[in-house]
Amino acid sequence: MPAPVVGLRAAVREALRTKAGLFGFGMVGFLLALVIVVPVLAPYDVISSWGESERWSDNPYSAAPDWLDAFSATKAARTKIVEWNLLQGPTRDRVDRFTYSESNTTELFKIIQLRARWTFAYDGFPQEIRLQTLYWSTEQPVIAIEWTRPDDENVTIYQASPQRLGPNVETLSLSSMTQPFNVLSAVRQWAVGVGADPVPIEKVRPHIALFAEKGPGMMDPSRAKVLKGYYSMTITVFNAEPSDKMQARFTSFGTVFGIAGTDHLRRDLFIGLLWGAPVALAFGVAAAVITVMAQVILGALGAFYGGRTDEIIQRGTDFLIILPVLPILILIGQLYQISIVWTLLIVVMFNILGGTTKVIRTIALQVKEESYVETARSYGASRLRILFRYIMPRTMPYTFALLALSVPGFIFLEASLSFIGLGDPVLPTWGALMGDASRNGALYNGLWWWIAFPALGIVFTTIAFALLGYAFDKVLNPRLREE
Amino acid sequence: MKTVKRSGAVASKMALVRFLVKRAATLAVTLVIATFIVVIIANQGGLVDKLIISEIEIGVAQELNADPSYRRLPPNDQARVFRETVQERIRMRGLDQPFVTKTFRQTGDALTLNLGLAQDTYGTGSYRLGTIIMERLPRTVLLFTTATIISAVVGVWLGLRMARKALSAFDRGMTLLSITTLVIPSWVFGIFFILVFSFGLRLVPTGGMVSAPAPREQPALLLDQLWHLALPLATVSFSSFGGWSYTTRNLVLQIMDEDFVTAARAKGLPERTILRRYVLRAASPPIVTGIVLALIGSWTGAIVTELVFNWPGLGLLFLQAVQSTDAPTIIALTVIFAYLFVITVFILDVVYSLLDPRIRALGR
Repeated sequence: MPAPVVGLRAAVREALRTKAGLFGFGMVGFLLALVIVVPVLAPYDVISSWGESERWSDNPYSAAPDWLDAFSATKAARTKIVEWNLLQGPTRDRVDRFTYSESNTTELFKIIQLRARWTFAYDGFPQEIRLQTLYWSTEQPVIAIEWTRPDDENVTIYQASPQRLGPNVETLSLSSMTQPFNVLSAVRQWAVGVGADPVPIEKVRPHIALFAEKGPGMMDPSRAKVLKGYYSMTITVFNAEPSDKMQARFTSFGTVFGIAGTDHLRRDLFIGLLWGAPVALAFGVAAAVITVMAQVILGALGAFYGGRTDEIIQRGTDFLIILPVLPILILIGQLYQISIVWTLLIVVMFNILGGTTKVIRTIALQVKEESYVETARSYGASRLRILFRYIMPRTMPYTFALLALSVPGFIFLEASLSFIGLGDPVLPTWGALMGDASRNGALYNGLWWWIAFPALGIVFTTIAFALLGYAFDKVLNPRLREE
Repeated sequence: MKTVKRSGAVASKMALVRFLVKRAATLAVTLVIATFIVVIIANQGGLVDKLIISEIEIGVAQELNADPSYRRLPPNDQARVFRETVQERIRMRGLDQPFVTKTFRQTGDALTLNLGLAQDTYGTGSYRLGTIIMERLPRTVLLFTTATIISAVVGVWLGLRMARKALSAFDRGMTLLSITTLVIPSWVFGIFFILVFSFGLRLVPTGGMVSAPAPREQPALLLDQLWHLALPLATVSFSSFGGWSYTTRNLVLQIMDEDFVTAARAKGLPERTILRRYVLRAASPPIVTGIVLALIGSWTGAIVTELVFNWPGLGLLFLQAVQSTDAPTIIALTVIFAYLFVITVFILDVVYSLLDPRIRALGR
């Protein structure tokens, strides 16, 4: 039988020599590296705006990760944004510009024209198309929007006058049911004219029909085929006063987005995933360190002092082991909307005594009787000194193993709470992402990336700590050793 | 000689009794405190009472305003009548007592299993908590108790195999798998399994206990229920076998090193006999304890697992009760679980102390 391992450093060295230990340390190291990189990739202000819908309005909703294309023969549509000077929001990267032109018809009137031209070479249709316009008018001009396709078809999809004078913001969600009626009827009239089978007005989908090859099935999402090539859209303002101005922003939403896709509120899941790592790690490690240290100290204290102190600690441990923490947390979370810090405090409170107390107590009872402790006692070392300098260090390797092994439990406790929807109201934790996904039918509608990635994140993190704990366990309990 | 022996037996019996009394006292205190904590939290420290009182005030005001004879009274009398009516209603509902007294009364009611009425019927057509819980309990037992039995049997069997082939590739692989399933809770496995088997392969439904609409005739209904049970059952069994196989393996390996096993080997007994007669016999008490505890524990179900599989058992009932702040239901469920748990722990303590003389000697 190999010699017992003494001391934390030796235990770490030995643990690193096992495969489990190597993997465990490697995985935890990767997570720590991630924790350092995350604030650079996605600063905290991104997270504080996680709940604001405006920040994410340029993304498609419920989009799959874009790299999934690599495994598929078809290429799904990406998001395309074209804008001209729109005041709201800073100009973003990857944004094209409208070409702007003005021409005077008479002294009193001018024509403003905004033209966007882009390539659409995907195999799938866009998710939706949206046009936001901002118009200052003094009189009542006429705005017309013309859609030009690769097959040289021209469709006037909108023609109207702004309702009010002065600054006038209008968002045309060109593909939803709430859009102005005349877009739907204009698209339908044109499509039927070029040979499409007629459909009821509420079934017209401009983002399909406008991008589809001409033919009977062009208004039927299941039969329509994408027409690839150059598209352009022209916004023309007739009868504009010389002082009138026009700004616009056109978005053709893709069906795939980024590394991890988006959720139902268009939020970039990759950012949520990234932030899940530090949050889970911080919560799990903080809870584990505090509770295990408290349990170790109290366990050693009980063993060292014995008598009534020991009795109280033992009974307290029995009590807290039996108390169900998750139901109580759920109850508190429902009634008080607690933040993650409060969750941590409550978890620590209910785990101030526990299984570790009993383990360390047993070890400390043995160490207490060893001769060097006797010696220390005989030359008059104080009790606290004996406890903290001579007994506690001997329990350190076990403490480390128990610490690593208790991290997964705490991470999953927080994840359970967040999954139910009672976690931190602001932070996007992995559990909260999974809960959002589950409540919005991700499991049934096949939005697997939404729920599988955060789940994999948690599994990765907890297995890292489990491997660490297992490696330590093997080093410290020679019976389980491989040699 | 004889008297010494007898006094030794009496002393050990006394130690046993003292040990059991101590345990019973701890468990009883745990039960009372846990119930008391939940009663206070579920009532939001008296906030619920204030809400009910303001509801009563609004109700009384509406009733009185609809009464012509009340409206003819002078304003002073009106105020007096209103106050008296409200006070009477408050007394009727027992809200006039201070919150602390009420809390103690509720804790007492809960501990004597005087469960009372829920604030919702939870689909049973009855407000009686006894009826509601008895409808949910069999479903939870069906899923979690069955899964516990399956995982324990499979896990212990695997653990024995792993111990016999200790340090082989099979043992290492299974140890790793065991630790993985030990760490990851069943609801996380549930999510992956639903994605693969329900959504990907379309083998089983994604959740629930029966199809909607449910089949009318008996064989079809039973088959439909079994079809819905398959995935949750497989998931919960899979996610908990690791604990059994890992502990069994380590326990058996530990016992294999003991002197009496070496002695049996020296006698030339076949390995199979040694495993069955010597090792298993020594390893079974902790395993049996674990199984009994897990079986009782399985009655409480698992809140998040039932949520993931949409399985309408006790865990989901607890969640529904919490979400509608239904204090009586929350308290009833908690106290029933607490009783089950405490009684099991105590029975195990008794059995253990009878089996293992060291516990008596240590007195704890």
